[in-house]
Amino acid sequence: MTVEVVNPVSVQGQLAPFADPQAIEYCKTLSQALLQEPAAREYSDLMALGYWLRPASLERILTPYRKLKLRPLGHVFHAAPGNVDSLFVYSGILSVLCGNLNTIRLSNKAGGSADVLCDLLQSLTASHPDVSARFQIIRSPRDAAELIELQQQVDGRVLWGSNEGIQALRQRVIPAHAREFTFANKLSFAVLDIEAVIHAKPNELAQLASNFARDNLTFAQQACSSAKVVIWLGKPAKKAQAQQLFWQALSTFLNTEQGQGKYPLTESEHYRALNNAQNLVMSGVVSQVQTSGGYIRLEGSHLHHSLLSAHQGCGIFVELHINELSELNSQLTPQHQTMSYWGMSEVDVNCWLSTCLVGIDRAVAIGTALDFNVIWDGVDLIRAFSRET
Amino acid sequence: MPTNLLDASPYGVAAADKTPLLLQGLQALTQHHQQHCLPYQRLFANQALPYTQLSDVPFLTVPLFKQRQLTSIPEADISKVLTSSGTTGTVPSRIYLDADTAKLQSRVLVKIMQEWLGKQRLPMLIWDSPSVIQSRDSFSARGAGIQGLSFLGRHHTYALNDDMSLNVPAITDFFNCFGTEPVFMFGFTFMVWKFGLQALKEHNLKLNFANAVLIHSGGWKKLEDEAVSARTFNATAQELLGQIRVHNFYGMVEQVGSIFVACEEGHLHCPSYADVLVRTPGSWQVMPTGEAGVLQVLSLLPKSYPGHSLLTEDRGRILGEDNCACGRKGKYFEVLGRMAKVEARGCSDTFEDNKPFENGDTLVNKGAGQ
Repeated sequence: MTVEVVNPVSVQGQLAPFADPQAIEYCKTLSQALLQEPAAREYSDLMALGYWLRPASLERILTPYRKLKLRPLGHVFHAAPGNVDSLFVYSGILSVLCGNLNTIRLSNKAGGSADVLCDLLQSLTASHPDVSARFQIIRSPRDAAELIELQQQVDGRVLWGSNEGIQALRQRVIPAHAREFTFANKLSFAVLDIEAVIHAKPNELAQLASNFARDNLTFAQQACSSAKVVIWLGKPAKKAQAQQLFWQALSTFLNTEQGQGKYPLTESEHYRALNNAQNLVMSGVVSQVQTSGGYIRLEGSHLHHSLLSAHQGCGIFVELHINELSELNSQLTPQHQTMSYWGMSEVDVNCWLSTCLVGIDRAVAIGTALDFNVIWDGVDLIRAFSRET
Repeated sequence: MPTNLLDASPYGVAAADKTPLLLQGLQALTQHHQQHCLPYQRLFANQALPYTQLSDVPFLTVPLFKQRQLTSIPEADISKVLTSSGTTGTVPSRIYLDADTAKLQSRVLVKIMQEWLGKQRLPMLIWDSPSVIQSRDSFSARGAGIQGLSFLGRHHTYALNDDMSLNVPAITDFFNCFGTEPVFMFGFTFMVWKFGLQALKEHNLKLNFANAVLIHSGGWKKLEDEAVSARTFNATAQELLGQIRVHNFYGMVEQVGSIFVACEEGHLHCPSYADVLVRTPGSWQVMPTGEAGVLQVLSLLPKSYPGHSLLTEDRGRILGEDNCACGRKGKYFEVLGRMAKVEARGCSDTFEDNKPFENGDTLVNKGAGQ
């Protein structure tokens, strides 16, 4: 059992103060490398990461925390998820900016954009040995002895992944004082306002379709914040008309030059989606399969608890109807993460959210569901990775 | 013109006669399964009848037979359960048969095979070990395949020992008794190659049969990994076994009986009781002749379980209909192997990341064309 370090350095990592300039400089270099790297341009998630790492962007994130007296937590171990290749950088870099030493274990499934990232991180070791030493990326078996030993000495542990995966990793002991944060599998959904869709201008519908595709078809719908359920809000009599307009717009977008080839599913992913859809209908949780090229539509009656594990992504949308947002309250559980919405005012959504005490960690506009937020699953990551005095 | 395809000869019915009868039969099967299989009814509740073309017949994805128990008969009528040989850790397909469907399967299988073997029961050499058919109630695909084809032979001789080594005395006895007359050999492609032909070579054993037919099935994937083509396979068989005609067939445990046998041209042929369509992944629209896509297989046999129209995980291409140079009627096609598997990712990273999504060749009784 071997631990392979992606970006090895010869110096020992040292803790640093909050928002240390060296760390910000590292992010800036990584950002430039990402935005200039031809291989990175193939991946929209890497482009987004490149922008997020720019000094101005980081400054916007860090400024509100500068007035707090934040000091580092210490050594933090992160287990990265396998579904979103670049996610480990966001949480890892935030922890670097908090001044911590970090060891990040990549998922064995990480590939594609993660490989591009690892090459870039490796290339930064010569110019930025000190920060690289605080941001060590490793590949290793889950049960490597070194990994178990390392976890016995950490001050914090961050586990991303499936419920079983998290429970398995939790069997490894961490010191009594160490903090642990888990980001488990969750279900997200999109809410579309029926009236708004019906009254949308063609260009607005096209934009909605493009944003919807970006949220939900990137990463083959495997990201937790990608919607697997589409909820139609409004008068039931008008639902069919809105559905027709919206799905037509999505199909049109997926066939445009802009949309074509951007969200490719492999043959076997298409097959798996169809099999998954048929199995869901056979289970009685949903009804009707409608395939339409890039996606499959299913009809449901409510946010069935089994969808969390039974819905396997790859372009399947279960459609539900509600007359009012408040009808969702009784259906929501702590397993519901992102609500992305369109056609409703932020004020109305926030007003409703204040009445909704269980479920939903964030409500965002459609098109931004995959954006990384410093507050993730309701946890303020900067505070989580720091000690406040 | 036949009025019932099940009574027709396997390769004698042209499309104009076959299609309406097939359509009628498949529609009746769809309605039968709607009435007797609740999950099937849930999935295909709203069907626009009558169907006007084969592509109207709804299809199930094959893994559903691993995921659920799909039957259209009362539990008491189940006489046999066929299972695919799931590799360790994978769930096998389970196919539930009653006496009628089992009987129909063997009747049709015999009919098809007689086309290639003649009506006489020939001495039969089985390239497998006898242990493969020992369990009585639950048949592995390998066991079921051997069992099904055994009807067509006599003097059944197993060429392999239980440890898969060559049973040299049995083989030489068989050759000494029947070497000069017509014989029938059967085995699964990989078994025949690895434990048969390769082992014969190692033993430096050549048997010059005067008139043998080797029927084999089970997929080329493992052989392709070893860079063995159909041509090499056939040439090796001829080198080691003498005058031998080799026919591969494509079939699966989910549609036992109505198999697709490759003719002298190497083309897989639809018998009168079955058909194939090729569909585009994603839209799942039917593709024109000559274009590669995912194979859908249709069969008139599955009555005890809803398996009459299945979308396989195999890629293939239709080559023509009623006009193969071998003279047989019906559609003919080739299989282009399994779809490339991609791991399911989901959030299931950190726990399951040492396991593949699903082991590759779970159905050994699933063959590919030559």
